[in-house]
Amino acid sequence: MYWVSVFTEAGIFAILALGLDMVWGWCGDFDLAFYGYLALGSYMTMVLTIGRPTPPVEYIIGGRLPYPLALVLADVAVVALAAVIGAIALRNLREIYFAVTTLGAVSALYVWVENYTPLFDGYNGVYGLINPGQTLLRLTYDGYRVGFLGAVLVVLLLAYLLAQRLSRSPFGRMVRSVREDERASAAYGRPVFFVKYRAYLVGAAFAGLAGGLFAVFISAFNPSAWTPQELLLIYAAILVGGRGNPRGVILGTFVVYVGFIELTRYLPSPASRPDFGPALRQVLIGLLIILMLKFRPEGILPERAGGRQPRRPAPGQAPGLAAGPPAEPAGAVAGAGPASADLADQEGGPQ
Amino acid sequence: MTAALLEIEHLSKSFGGVHAVQDCTFMVPEGHVIGLIGPNGAGKSTVVDLVSGFGRPDAGSVRLAGQQLIGKRPDTISRLGLIRTFQTPREWRNLTVLDNILLAQCRFRRESLRESLLRARRIRREEDADRAVAQAILDRFQLGDLAGERAVRLSGGQKRLLEFARIAAAEPRLVILDEPMGGVNPVLGVRIGEAVRGFADEGRTVLIVEHNLPFIERTCDQVVVMDLGEVIAQGPFSSLRDNARVVDAYLGMDLGHE
Amino acid sequence: MSTFLITVGVGLVTAAILALSAIAFTLEYAVSRVANFAHGELLTIGAYAAYTGQNYFHQNVAAAALIAAAAGMLAGLALNTSVIEQFRGRSPATVLIATLGVSLIVQNVLTMIYGAADVSYSFAQGGLHHVGPFLWTTSDIEVILSAVGVCGLIYLLLQHTRLGKAIRAVSQDRALAQVSGIPARRVVMQTWGLAGAVSGFAGFMLADTLGTFGPTLGFGFLLLTITAAVAGGLGRPYPTLGGALLVGLVIQIGGAYTSSAYQNVYAFLLLVALMLLRPNGLFVHSARAVRA
Repeated sequence: MYWVSVFTEAGIFAILALGLDMVWGWCGDFDLAFYGYLALGSYMTMVLTIGRPTPPVEYIIGGRLPYPLALVLADVAVVALAAVIGAIALRNLREIYFAVTTLGAVSALYVWVENYTPLFDGYNGVYGLINPGQTLLRLTYDGYRVGFLGAVLVVLLLAYLLAQRLSRSPFGRMVRSVREDERASAAYGRPVFFVKYRAYLVGAAFAGLAGGLFAVFISAFNPSAWTPQELLLIYAAILVGGRGNPRGVILGTFVVYVGFIELTRYLPSPASRPDFGPALRQVLIGLLIILMLKFRPEGILPERAGGRQPRRPAPGQAPGLAAGPPAEPAGAVAGAGPASADLADQEGGPQ
Repeated sequence: MTAALLEIEHLSKSFGGVHAVQDCTFMVPEGHVIGLIGPNGAGKSTVVDLVSGFGRPDAGSVRLAGQQLIGKRPDTISRLGLIRTFQTPREWRNLTVLDNILLAQCRFRRESLRESLLRARRIRREEDADRAVAQAILDRFQLGDLAGERAVRLSGGQKRLLEFARIAAAEPRLVILDEPMGGVNPVLGVRIGEAVRGFADEGRTVLIVEHNLPFIERTCDQVVVMDLGEVIAQGPFSSLRDNARVVDAYLGMDLGHE
Repeated sequence: MSTFLITVGVGLVTAAILALSAIAFTLEYAVSRVANFAHGELLTIGAYAAYTGQNYFHQNVAAAALIAAAAGMLAGLALNTSVIEQFRGRSPATVLIATLGVSLIVQNVLTMIYGAADVSYSFAQGGLHHVGPFLWTTSDIEVILSAVGVCGLIYLLLQHTRLGKAIRAVSQDRALAQVSGIPARRVVMQTWGLAGAVSGFAGFMLADTLGTFGPTLGFGFLLLTITAAVAGGLGRPYPTLGGALLVGLVIQIGGAYTSSAYQNVYAFLLLVALMLLRPNGLFVHSARAVRA
């Protein structure tokens, strides 16, 4: 059952990572608000399903909708929030300003949720979404959890198919062109802001969905579970697995989440310091991020932008190359210097 | 008298007290190749930026086939049939050369979320047709073998050619080239000149900002000369040598030969 | 009215600390073109260094402040050498993420050493004084005076020393400065050492003002720092002082009328307003470079 839990959480984070990758991998924008979208997805799902609050607990809405419907409505709310934050953050497309704005937005929201109790009961958070439909389906608790894992994997599969289809489509190609060079894209008729905005909203929809699933997984959500640091774990997963590649993103999430968490589970924690082990794990994640960025920024499965490969392979390449992603490491460009092929580096944007 | 495709009237732009462009007026007749020349700081590139929407003028009007361009975003202007290049080649670096052409074909309808999601199969068929056309364009510019390479791996000269291949794919009404000959060797220069005349033969209109005067003389039907933000002459290249203002502006630079 | 002015007084204390943090951040940005998201950790390290050292120096505030500055300086130098310079030439976003990784590491290393729970200093705050319309503790006055002093020293450094000129040159154009004979790499290093020292010192003052603090001390201050730096126009240290003043006052006044917990909300709103209306900073006509 422990493994059921681990894989369920990994699956949920993989959905979140697919969405985040659309914004970071495809668009090239480093967002710090995404965990907020997951949080809102969780909160909204809960307040739409667990019924009215009994004082002194307080929260908004308090509906008793069936879980799948609540999931959808919660996702709509998340996309609405992303529409607001995205409209502000994407306007100023200088790279660090985007990150700063999203950080500011999510920090402000965090503070508001923490302190304005009528919203989601402040510090205490909202809880009580326990296995929706368990009695209806006549399952045991464990049976339900296994079934839920199955459901999460199904949703993940659907999310993957959607992301992969979009990635390989003209839309995916267009989004990446905007990442590569905004001016050139504008010169060829692409409305840069709206392209990024669209991708941002789709990504946020994935995050909201993940949030709705997460609500069932932990049956409670409060502000302490919601920090920018959590998002760094997802970024590490995307970096490791392959930025801009949906398969890579899922691979990375499972590798980092399952593999890493498991490996570090056995780290020592002195009895007087229960924080030690988890803190050490975070340190290792930080190191992983820096090392990946430095030495293999494209990840295990590098990106393949839009569509099939051309029929004629380039001369001098290994025969099998036309069928798969370019094998050369991102930095290996003749006469590189500032014109690095590194996906992580583009100097596009208003000059 | 051929109709004017591009009409620029009294265009002005200052940057913090410096008049980059002052009361600039000229027109580009349809189907012709027009050169825009002048010494450094004459305001030529600023005019290009203003016309293509990459900057807002302080005053003046720009009309493309009668449509006012001032105030429009660069992507909107582009969709009206204008493609411009930049002083350094701006390829989509981490995408393949073929993708660069596919993008330049500007199949906007296919790029919407709905189309990409719901009509994936039909799009794939349409794309196969476009892919063949794209490959043909690449072949025409001797880039055919590089279709699968990431654009960033191309040499400087190849990137220049890729720019022209992209323009060919976009099939614009008006092409504005911003210093296409920058750092280009003579052999490549010939191919670029051929590409430009090729566009004109297809009925496209070309405006070229350039310093390389022999190239301008070879390729252009007419020339507009700017200096210190103003238009100081317009006419066939041969007439410029006798124009005292033009000679003055270039401070005795040899207008004739390489 | 008097409560309003007292709030303004509190805002001035915040602004003083913020001014130092923001100037350091701006210097880091100016010479390395990097938004250092691990900047807050320079403050946190300073605060914890003073905490460790306080027992050795018998409640001597000055000594603790020096230790904090020294620790910050070392941290700044380490950060520059091990991360910033390693990622030179990469896109700003990449370095930003790397600094976030550093932030994660430092916060958690501190947790491993000191635990996640809040700690506090044992320095006395001193009595309250009426200074004009303001009501400040001795500590508060020391904070403001030392902040003014340090800012003054930085001004003198940037304007009247060779290092200052070198810093300004490197921040304008590193390659050009190098070619002109300035040892750019060393200047960058020295700037980071300076920024680190100032940050460590600011961290100590921040922790002292707040009373208790934990490993997230600096990170929580990051958003405010960046807002102040943006208000000043990234890379310009003097307008940044104005930015710090604005931010400090806004969050304290806003917080006084609603709740002090909402400071980040006001900072965010201010940041958004700045970015929509004055992305190049409040006091500038054109962007960039450490200017006179």
